[in-house]
Amino acid sequence: MTKHEKLSKKSSNIDAPFHVTGRTKYVDDMPELQGTLFVKIFPSPVAHGQIIRLDYSKALQMPGVVAVLSEKDIPGENELGGIVKDEPMLAEQEVHFEGQPILLVIAETEDIAHHALSLIEIDIEAHPVTTDPIIAHQQGDLLHKSRTFSIGNTQEAFAKCKHVFEGTAESGGQEHVYLEPQGAYSIPQDKGGITIYSSTQGPTAVQRTVARILDMPMSQIEVDVNRIGGGFGGKEDQASPWAAMAALATYHLRKPVKLILERKEDLKMTGKRHPYKSRYKIGLDEDLNILAYEATFFQNGGAAADLSPPVLGRTLFHSTNSYDIPNVDATAHCCKTNIVPNTAFRGFGGPQGMFVIESAIHYAARQIGVTPIEIQAKNLLKENAVFPYGQIVKGCEARQCWSEAVEKYQVAALQKEVDDFNQQHAYQKKGFALMPVCFGISFTNTPMNNARALVHIYSDGSVGVNTGAVEMGQGVNTKMVQIAAQMFGLPQQRIQLNNTNTTRVANTSPSAASATADLNGKALQDAGRQLTERLHDFIRQDLNLNKNERISFKNEQVYVNEKASALSWEELIQKALAQRINLSAKGHYATPVIHFDRNKEKGHPFAYHVYGTAILTCTVDCIRGIYEFDKVQIVHDFGASMNREIDLGQIEGGLVQGMGWMTLEEIIYNEKGLLKSNSLATYKIPDIYAAPKTIDVHFLNTDTDNEAILKSKAVGEPPLMYGIGAYFAICNAVLAFNPKAKIDYVAPMTTERVLMGLYGL
Amino acid sequence: MKIPVTITVNGKKHETEVEPRTLLVHFLRENLAMTGTHVGCDTSSCGACTVLLDGKALKSCTMLAIQADGREVTTIEGMAQDDKLHPIQQGFHEKHGLQCGFCTPGMVMTAADLLANNPKPSETEIRHALEGNFCRCTGYHNIVESIQHAAHAMNG
Repeated sequence: MTKHEKLSKKSSNIDAPFHVTGRTKYVDDMPELQGTLFVKIFPSPVAHGQIIRLDYSKALQMPGVVAVLSEKDIPGENELGGIVKDEPMLAEQEVHFEGQPILLVIAETEDIAHHALSLIEIDIEAHPVTTDPIIAHQQGDLLHKSRTFSIGNTQEAFAKCKHVFEGTAESGGQEHVYLEPQGAYSIPQDKGGITIYSSTQGPTAVQRTVARILDMPMSQIEVDVNRIGGGFGGKEDQASPWAAMAALATYHLRKPVKLILERKEDLKMTGKRHPYKSRYKIGLDEDLNILAYEATFFQNGGAAADLSPPVLGRTLFHSTNSYDIPNVDATAHCCKTNIVPNTAFRGFGGPQGMFVIESAIHYAARQIGVTPIEIQAKNLLKENAVFPYGQIVKGCEARQCWSEAVEKYQVAALQKEVDDFNQQHAYQKKGFALMPVCFGISFTNTPMNNARALVHIYSDGSVGVNTGAVEMGQGVNTKMVQIAAQMFGLPQQRIQLNNTNTTRVANTSPSAASATADLNGKALQDAGRQLTERLHDFIRQDLNLNKNERISFKNEQVYVNEKASALSWEELIQKALAQRINLSAKGHYATPVIHFDRNKEKGHPFAYHVYGTAILTCTVDCIRGIYEFDKVQIVHDFGASMNREIDLGQIEGGLVQGMGWMTLEEIIYNEKGLLKSNSLATYKIPDIYAAPKTIDVHFLNTDTDNEAILKSKAVGEPPLMYGIGAYFAICNAVLAFNPKAKIDYVAPMTTERVLMGLYGL
Repeated sequence: MKIPVTITVNGKKHETEVEPRTLLVHFLRENLAMTGTHVGCDTSSCGACTVLLDGKALKSCTMLAIQADGREVTTIEGMAQDDKLHPIQQGFHEKHGLQCGFCTPGMVMTAADLLANNPKPSETEIRHALEGNFCRCTGYHNIVESIQHAAHAMNG
């Protein structure tokens, strides 16, 4: 048997052997059951209008087409909206964005369904289209009520400031490009229910939506997720429609039904990171302390609320990033436009808020004649400061991350190196920027911070683990297995991590908010505690031990007072079963200490915060406007990382994704609201050349008392925001070439924008 | 209308008929049920469907199955021999060159072509070889390291 360590810090991804052999099964890889039918969606060709005529009779006559379903065929509520009821699954009289599903064609093959789409005739009376959130706001088109976070008194504070600047900043949308497109496979069960295999981060969200659409009890809808090929927030709420459409076809036809989006459909029909337009006012005293900050955010929510309201909330929670600002007024508007409803994306509105404060600092620094670094360093969070939302800063690592980064990566020397290079090169310029990040961990909607786990010990001593966590590449399966193996002193091979399934673990929160390992891991620990207590009690009786003798499980053996006993794990389990001990347990966890008052916009919404500082260095080709990133160096607060390999992978991947958002990923709608960046040929995600040549990550090992699983802090979202520094690194290189360059603080900083900046166009 | 083809996949000869418009990737996934080769886009941009055709890496969505008539295809399923991982597969495992796993088969096949022709590639050469393969999870660094690891292993 493999020798087992207490908790292996290096435990490679348990899914890796299957990934590298092609044996991993995503939804579209599942063997198809006999009689499986396929769905294609007929989407709105325009961004806004009234349906005058809709004729699908020719499609229905096409051989191989089994049915065409419209909103009239929905037995339950034609509604997807989880927060606001404003999003029909299939359009009724009106369409509000290009790609909005109108009809479902169900056919014997995907090809036939595809061809049948071209036989559908539709006339739509075009209505005016709005794609700009500020115009939407002026028109009073809001998806949800606006929110304001305030602390101190900005008016009084601005009066005391030596420097006051106002400006604007804009950040673009971002397509998730999970490499596995959205999809679902729905199968009728003989007890009247429906089982759905879905590529979703939120199995319960899918279950709830399907039950609502079909007017069936949730207990009859089973959602099963083996794993997903990337999510990044795009499959948190927006995996539900495709599952519900497949289930609707199953409901009517009593057949297995598969719906897999093609990439172009996925790009057109699914929401993205919200574009934001923002205004700010920043005030500093003569020592560069930021005394006051005002920001107004116009969030481009798209045509329906989806998750826009909580995304908007996180913009406000993170509007001051990692800075201690005593007087703040931040207001955000959730604007309704005629683009696809935007949704969760790694960072969940936080990055958009942070981009604005970083823009404000950068602009202020240029006007005052100091470096942004001086202002950033001066204003970093300190222990016991107060966030604008009332939470007191505890376990603050902002300054430690910053100073370790500055020292370890020798920022002073870097500055000199960059200056020397820029003096020596007329048409190539280097620039660098520091990007501190502070990110709160917990769902900001407090009730969502709970999870459950179901653990069975089988008679041969093997262990089955079920949680609500969805594996999407973040390594949560591996972390769950590590936790279970540690609890029972077993090698990882004896732990089976099962599919995420709503029948086994119910009412789950989605795998999101970076909180999945914390919530599900702690629920798993709770189940493990119950089982070990039962087994310990049994061993005490069986071996006649008194209460003071310590029992533990190691190397598949029962240890008494740290010495191996004669009792093996497997014998223990068999004996316990013979004594009718319950070897199954359901664990539960609800994050303690968190609360938030929505009326006052004050409370303690986060279990803890994650900190870090990144240094990003780039070289700009000042003739062509192209750039590359030489290196990114990061000091990141991992807490006591339980799996350095997996956590490091999250940092690198998150960083590059954030850099993509800030540099080359540009979503373009035309004036009619039609998506022009509608394929991976026109929408560019970072390829290997866009990735920095070097990424150096230093682990800040902290041992603060926090709510993280095994004190290993959440790591999913925070690194994305290091990417924001990419924008400013490029700006600084552009300014080195042309000190009068007009920097407009509009992201992404595409090569086109770089060129315009370089030559003041 | 279907056309007879003979395509050898992972050493096994398949004599069958396909519609002329069938893409090689669909032939592999649907006719042969070899689902390790993934479809990530419709525009030959992502590289998730990369296989070897007569030893050369190819995006299997860029080619019709009938064009592979009489030729040899190697897919991800053909890389491990007798359940023993190929050194490239071992490299991706060891160096955590994967997260969600969806791009992994294409990455492995691209690396197989590279290392067959250039057993000791420089880091720059590895990066150049991967220019047609997207990964949305890892930021690419561990993928490069995985291939370096494999190259060392294969050179003994």
